[in-house]
Amino acid sequence: MCSISKENVFDAISTVIDPEVGFNLVEMGLIYDAIIDEETCNVHVIMTLSTQGCPLHQMIKQWVYEAVERIEDVGTVEVEVVWEPAWNISMADDNVKKALGGM
Amino acid sequence: MNPVSKDFAPPLKLIAPFFRFGVVFYLFSMMALLFFEPSFNYQQMGVAGWVHLFLLGFVMMIIFGAMAQLIPVVLEVGHAVVDVYYIILPLLATGVIVMVAGFWFMPALLPYGGLLVLIAMIIFAFENVATLKKTELQTLTVSTVKWSNGYLLLGILTGFAIALGLAGDLAIDVSLMLKAHVYAVIGGYVILTIIGLSLILIPMFSLAHGFDETAINRAFKLVITGVGIVFVGALIGLEWMMYIGYAVTFSGVFFYIWQIYIIAKLTVRKELDVWAKSMIFAFATFIVAILLGFVYFLAGGQNVLHAAVWFLFLGFISSMITGHLYKIVPFLVWFERFSPLVGKEKVPMLHEMYSKEGAAMMFNFTVVGVLSGGLGLLFESDILFKAGGSFLFVGGIFLFITMNKMLAYGE
Repeated sequence: MCSISKENVFDAISTVIDPEVGFNLVEMGLIYDAIIDEETCNVHVIMTLSTQGCPLHQMIKQWVYEAVERIEDVGTVEVEVVWEPAWNISMADDNVKKALGGM
Repeated sequence: MNPVSKDFAPPLKLIAPFFRFGVVFYLFSMMALLFFEPSFNYQQMGVAGWVHLFLLGFVMMIIFGAMAQLIPVVLEVGHAVVDVYYIILPLLATGVIVMVAGFWFMPALLPYGGLLVLIAMIIFAFENVATLKKTELQTLTVSTVKWSNGYLLLGILTGFAIALGLAGDLAIDVSLMLKAHVYAVIGGYVILTIIGLSLILIPMFSLAHGFDETAINRAFKLVITGVGIVFVGALIGLEWMMYIGYAVTFSGVFFYIWQIYIIAKLTVRKELDVWAKSMIFAFATFIVAILLGFVYFLAGGQNVLHAAVWFLFLGFISSMITGHLYKIVPFLVWFERFSPLVGKEKVPMLHEMYSKEGAAMMFNFTVVGVLSGGLGLLFESDILFKAGGSFLFVGGIFLFITMNKMLAYGE
């Protein structure tokens, strides 16, 4: 039985910061889901990016992978970047919206 | 999925010199303004020298550096032969210096400088074409990159023909060729490239999403068509054809500004950093330049034309470039020096990598300089024009200092 929760995965990813805006990916609302296999502890992260042409695309994906891989007892890690639904500011936490001037 | 990875990104040591040289040429071109009177004629050799120092030394140099970085982002493939950029830089820099010396001191030097620039740009254009062949994308942006490179080649060829004509080696109608050259380079390459790049960069930095792209699609098509009509009209000497081309281009520019308005309404980031202020100033001066352009076509007046070109060059083009430098250069430095440290130690945010005060001084001096110089040209006031040149020069010094500090960050 796997002891890793979705919260553990999101906490791990929250150490990854977008260097342009200065917020972590979780509070930006870029992490859509984390599916954890209860038997194997394999983690499948579903995320997006704020723009499709982001030059940091592969690096951010790699940082998420490395952050989740650091969780104790984790199995294999897979990070999937999707564009649907497209990210928008309403997905971000209130502190992000406020800091960016969206509130 | 976008396969844009670190493998596709050229190294900082390849791109940074383009920005260093570009900013130095900007500083020199602002310094050179101090030696001009506001009542010049745009066909004078001294003015042509300044225009080439500014457009080739600053604008083209920075665009080439930016394209080295952004082509893989836009096309989603790596460069065909990225190392050619090591050759392009010295050829372009030397070519600019020789050309400007030719315009200012010794016309016989013009073909030599022109040839160096021609070789640099042909290498750049062919590398772009080879990279374009690798991509499977068929977007309008990709198509625009193709067209802009085509116009660049036409612009260079006509420019080289003018250089030979001025040196007495080729019997051509220089004034007709000059119009074709100016329009192919400025409208066909510089403006089209700036439109294309800004449509990628502005939504990216402002976090604007989900906007309708009908206006920009129309803008691209109209500007491409308009430039083509003016180019052919200038070559065969049909003035009415050129006027149709001007009208088509203007309508394209209108759709571009409309698209920017749509994006601005959806902008999430409201903070007014030096980039945001520069974008606002750039588009405000672009509108002023267009309005002055209309006045010139309706009522004439060399002073109105000079002021329109001033606001286009030093307001719109300059601010678009310098504003983006404060986003692109920190990113390049961060990507090279700090991205490998993510997760291992604390890394700086991009906005921490440049002096806010220095950037603010650059912006404020430049704004005052552009407005004062533009009014000086419009009203042919020597004192206003000289004041504008002085403010722009001081702004250029702040750009030079902040740029060097950004590039040295974390060394």
